[in-house]
Amino acid sequence: MLNASVLVPSIGFGLVTASILALASVGFTLQFGVTNILNLAFGDIMTASAFVGYAVNRAGGDIAESMLAGAAFGAVFSMVLNRYVYMRFIHRGTNLFGMVVVALSLGIVIQNLLLAIYGATFFTYNFSAGGQEHFLGMIFDTSQLVIIAIAVGSMAAVGLILTRTRLGKAMRATAADPSLARASGIATDRVIDVAWLMSGALCGLAGIVLVLNTSAFQSTTGNDFLVVIVAAAMLGGVGSPVGAMLASIVIGVVTEVSAGFISPSFKEVIAFGVLVVVLLVRPQGIFGHASAVKEVAV
Amino acid sequence: MSHAVSFYLSTILVYLGVDILSCWSLNLQYGVAGIYNFAWVAFQAIGAYTAGVLTLGPSSGNGGFQQYIIGASLPFPVPILAAGAVSGALALVVGLVTLRRLRTDYQAMVMLVISVIATLVVTNVIGLFNGPAGISLIPQPLESTLNLSPLGYQWFYVLLTAAFTAFVYVFVHRITSSPLGRALRATRDHEDAAQALGKDTVKLKLFVFVFGNAIAGISGALLVMFIGAWSPGSWMYVETLVVLTAIIVGGTGNDFGVMLGAMLVPVAFNEATRFLPPIGRPGLIDALQWIVIGLLGLGFLWFWPRGIVPERRRRFPSRIAAPLGPPVDRRRPLGRARVGASASSPIAEPTP
Repeated sequence: MLNASVLVPSIGFGLVTASILALASVGFTLQFGVTNILNLAFGDIMTASAFVGYAVNRAGGDIAESMLAGAAFGAVFSMVLNRYVYMRFIHRGTNLFGMVVVALSLGIVIQNLLLAIYGATFFTYNFSAGGQEHFLGMIFDTSQLVIIAIAVGSMAAVGLILTRTRLGKAMRATAADPSLARASGIATDRVIDVAWLMSGALCGLAGIVLVLNTSAFQSTTGNDFLVVIVAAAMLGGVGSPVGAMLASIVIGVVTEVSAGFISPSFKEVIAFGVLVVVLLVRPQGIFGHASAVKEVAV
Repeated sequence: MSHAVSFYLSTILVYLGVDILSCWSLNLQYGVAGIYNFAWVAFQAIGAYTAGVLTLGPSSGNGGFQQYIIGASLPFPVPILAAGAVSGALALVVGLVTLRRLRTDYQAMVMLVISVIATLVVTNVIGLFNGPAGISLIPQPLESTLNLSPLGYQWFYVLLTAAFTAFVYVFVHRITSSPLGRALRATRDHEDAAQALGKDTVKLKLFVFVFGNAIAGISGALLVMFIGAWSPGSWMYVETLVVLTAIIVGGTGNDFGVMLGAMLVPVAFNEATRFLPPIGRPGLIDALQWIVIGLLGLGFLWFWPRGIVPERRRRFPSRIAAPLGPPVDRRRPLGRARVGASASSPIAEPTP
């Protein structure tokens, strides 16, 4: 039965999961929103970034430096991936389905490269989770509070960039209609590069906070998280950052609360249940558009 | 032929038959009808589990070391046919949810999520199919009645697989070479246009989804009754990517092309690496194998997106376009064509 001593702390865990999920799903959804590419290699790029952060950590860097390195790697890698792989495929006429296969294949290649390099063992960052803080009956490690703060800060930054700057306006214009945006004098190529830098930075950051929170990680960690990211992005309506943020909170809290009451093994199953119910009522997700698939921005 | 070679060859032939069925099953959905079924392997798995638990006796047998549902000890060929039926029925449920109202990009993502979630459910609900360890010791069909030597039974199973493959091919060929196949291709290429011509594209897709996944179920059943065991590790969602890669390599939409793909990708890759000396740390060869599969798919999509044996471009004689009227002057611009003179060519003309 609903028991406050289980419920309240699990909401706390939910907020941590939601924070990690928000970083990842906003990045994922931004990539789709601006370029119509479902980057299913996203989880594997998260893992790759976590390994970059791990290298910095083992070389004596502190966690902040690891995060910076991971975010920088995620940003540059994603941008390069988009410009030199995804866009090239689109220019050759690969259709939406083909692009999904391209992304999945790339993910497999990245994941197994990491496996070949690092082996099938678990890795742990050298850091202390800090003392425990109690807050309204919820218990957080200091590191978890930092994760929440990073997520809130990043979400605010993304929101401000998208709504308050010329760059954000250009991004939204490119997302809405790339050829019209180009005709209006927007350098869509550069806007797309910046969008992938931004979302890639979120991806790298998400990878690092994910492995900080789970403490041990391996070459499949990011990819295991991909389903939840995709579920959150779809629940919010793919392409809508605000939707992804809200959906992350819903999925994060629902999964952790259900883990507290049912079993942690069914977390993802519950998330999927929420997704199916919402899609039955609103096939385009909470904030999505009902319109047909747009052409890929070229 | 030495005993070992004969054993090896027969094993490969069974795998080849299963892979060919797999490729046809997914090609019907993806290659012919354009359905983004990234959950394909889940339907194969459901078929395998169904055949497994229908063939096995009650789960208290063998000292009760594994738990599973049903345990009906049904005779061959009931479990294999039931596997197709159960996979098809599940496909109907999934199809009714995903194929009707969702945008195509959402369909692709939901399928991917379904595949992962199905693995999670089967892994965690131990009572269903014995959880992560999976079901094992599944009796082989007719093994006790035939009373063959192990090698003789191997070749019997090759014939069995070949018979099922031929049986399925009759249906697959009927679909791809019929008006139904044309309607499906039209749905794939231009869903709106197909709808405008009065085709119920949702119904068409649902049909192919159910039929294709029933074949997936049969392929899973044949595989599980050969190897005798099935666990969540054998149907991670990336397995769908292997079959997809085989289809892309062979020639998307072409029955014979994807057959070739089945020989080249899943079979050749598993067999080629079998003879490599163990190098590096354990698991390295597996990792390299996946990297090669990924690069193969990328390479083909880049250089030969239509595959080794491309789909035949279909041309139809113009009398289909204008069954009764006078020959259509194709040089005349479309806009000035007399209304009702013909079903003006662009519909029947294949898009360049």
